[in-house]
Amino acid sequence: MNFDFPENQEAFRSKLRDLLEPAGGPCTVRPKEKAPERVRALLPALADAGYLCIGLEDGKNSADLLASREVLAALSPSLFIAVEASTRVFGRLLAVYGSADQKNEWLPPLKEGRLIGAMGLTESGMSLKDNPFQTKGAEDAEGFRVTGTKGHVVNGPVADWMAVAGQYDNGTAFFLIPNPSEGFFCEERLPTLGYEEVAVSPVTLRNCFVPERSVIGPFPDDEVLLRVRSWEDEILTAASLGLMQGALDEASAFAKEHRSGGKPIIAYQEVAFKLAEMLTLLQTARLLAYRAAWMAESGHKEAAVLAHCAKVFCTEAAEKVTSSALQILGQQGWVLGNSAEKGYRDAKYLQIAGSSSEISRMKIGDLLLEGR
Amino acid sequence: MEFSFTEEQLMFKEQVIRFAAKEIVPRCAEHDLCGEFDFQSFRKLGEFGILGLHFPEALGGSDADVVTTVLAGEALGEAGLDGGLTLAYGAHTFLCADTIFTHGSEAQRKKYIPKLASGEWIGCMGLTEPGAGSDVASITTRAERKGERYVLNGNKMFITNGPVADAAVIYAKTGKDLKHAGVSAFIVEKGTPGFSSGKNLIKMGVRSSHTSELIFEDCEIPAENLIGMEGAGFLMAMQTVEWDRSALLAPFIGGMTYVLEKCLKYAAERYQFGRPIGRFQAMKHKLADIKIFIEAARSLCYRIAWCKDQGRPLNHLEAAVAKLFVGDWSLGPANDAVVLHGGYGYCHEYEVERYFRDSRLAPIGGGTSEIQKKIISKLL
Repeated sequence: MNFDFPENQEAFRSKLRDLLEPAGGPCTVRPKEKAPERVRALLPALADAGYLCIGLEDGKNSADLLASREVLAALSPSLFIAVEASTRVFGRLLAVYGSADQKNEWLPPLKEGRLIGAMGLTESGMSLKDNPFQTKGAEDAEGFRVTGTKGHVVNGPVADWMAVAGQYDNGTAFFLIPNPSEGFFCEERLPTLGYEEVAVSPVTLRNCFVPERSVIGPFPDDEVLLRVRSWEDEILTAASLGLMQGALDEASAFAKEHRSGGKPIIAYQEVAFKLAEMLTLLQTARLLAYRAAWMAESGHKEAAVLAHCAKVFCTEAAEKVTSSALQILGQQGWVLGNSAEKGYRDAKYLQIAGSSSEISRMKIGDLLLEGR
Repeated sequence: MEFSFTEEQLMFKEQVIRFAAKEIVPRCAEHDLCGEFDFQSFRKLGEFGILGLHFPEALGGSDADVVTTVLAGEALGEAGLDGGLTLAYGAHTFLCADTIFTHGSEAQRKKYIPKLASGEWIGCMGLTEPGAGSDVASITTRAERKGERYVLNGNKMFITNGPVADAAVIYAKTGKDLKHAGVSAFIVEKGTPGFSSGKNLIKMGVRSSHTSELIFEDCEIPAENLIGMEGAGFLMAMQTVEWDRSALLAPFIGGMTYVLEKCLKYAAERYQFGRPIGRFQAMKHKLADIKIFIEAARSLCYRIAWCKDQGRPLNHLEAAVAKLFVGDWSLGPANDAVVLHGGYGYCHEYEVERYFRDSRLAPIGGGTSEIQKKIISKLL
């Protein structure tokens, strides 16, 4: 048992902070068109720092990985989602399931921060378990022709390469497609409630040619899809911690500065007690997320249950904490451009994306009832 | 961060669960229903070594570290002990015996710890008064020095083990006009003239623990019964708080694990609309919420224990966060467990009913949730 960060981890966290802080905190309003440039500009620096390689090749969550993720997620929530979707969803798919040749081709630029990746998984009306993809790959001379539509692809408009999940030969295959390609249509960027610096768009493929060497799979069962989902869930769990930290910092600084009735508002229980609940939720969420990460790392038999517990608890806590922060900031919070309002809008995404809160609770229930 | 237990710790936990499930749990429902303290089970906890786990072997303990001690508390809950008995154990071992051990003289340790560790004597602690609860410094029980004796006057309220205790750690004012700095701690033994306990209070939950007022009317005790120095009592009371918020919380968390097991069994066996109710989404969600609470709360408790094992004194923030979370966030899942059992959940025979009543103490006893928020917000 050890509840401290080891020294080297603490050092790495400050290094990340130093690297990110000049880039501006999370609460500056930025035009969303700038987002792709910011991701591209940040990636090589993160690569140099060693951030992109953690947990990439083994595809595993760990306390080390979470300790680093937390820093980026707090300082730059949107960039965090974009970087992770590229590195630890697209990148991990290649690192864990790709052939030696595929790894040689895509991993070096990814690790060096020269390539942005995306994963096209979700389709309208699908469920990972029961409903196969509508996107299909048909054999063609020296490769495949892929047709289908993916609803919400994170990094869709900015990715250099996209892994598109589809059906082939009664299994699931991932087709690696460069952007631009013939028959590959990235649609208008979707306006979103939160994480507006994350570029999300639908992607349509019409007879898009993919050579054989650019296909991963097919896999006969849904194991690979569940694995990809679990990678997404890890990211969203870590993102929650970042949002909560940002909102709590903003709200407690405000409560100490802002005066009402001749004293700082933190002197009122209705403000101070809210902050106490927020800190309690954040600390509880953090410990749960770290324990889930540690279980994944150590192959604990309850690792899968804990990952879902952490996803539900942390993402729901994020909504509560950011909402309280916004309440404390009052009118000032209502004006765009602070961590509380931004976090409040972002937080909802975390409960919807990956395994939704509902799906996660079902999984926990199923895992607990298994064998009864 | 790293969350593993050692092999020995995990084996010990299993032993505690086996022992408690066999020797104690079958007696719990009856004692809860009658509101009776189970002397036999309490002694058995002593014989097994639970009551003095963290004290040195020379004083009748097992030299266990704090994490192992907290683990034993979780195991008692997980085995199915009622909240009354685990509360009696907590008040005895941590609020009474540990204060004597940590702050007492060598003579006091030798006199009291072996008897308390074995369960031969039962201990209690008196801090709260009819008119002073959360505001500790406002206690009015007075201890006046008269030569080689102290004379105690005043009343203590809601004292767990009050009616059954052989030894009591009592906080009283020695400094007349001082607030915190005027609080001192004393040992008062049962049978001391001028010391009596009120009638056992009828409570909503934790019914197998006896709770009463303690009354001091010109109660004379030897001066050597002062624990530590005059005026050091407040700090002692604050130190027990960490135990309160780790070792005393652990049985609640273990208890929720026990309740979850009951719920899973019921959800798998109870059929409605032609299928086990566990197949319905609404029931699965409740099971999930109970599980999420257990896993979220668990690390908070062990964090305090671990900090104590590292020799870090007074982990106020960690303790308050754990107490607030377990207190306030356990009520929903405890309610879910009752709801999942339907009409049966409202009946004594199905233990979720007892857990529901017992867990209502968590946000009240040992510092209310509001006090935890006060502590946390001061540390922000």
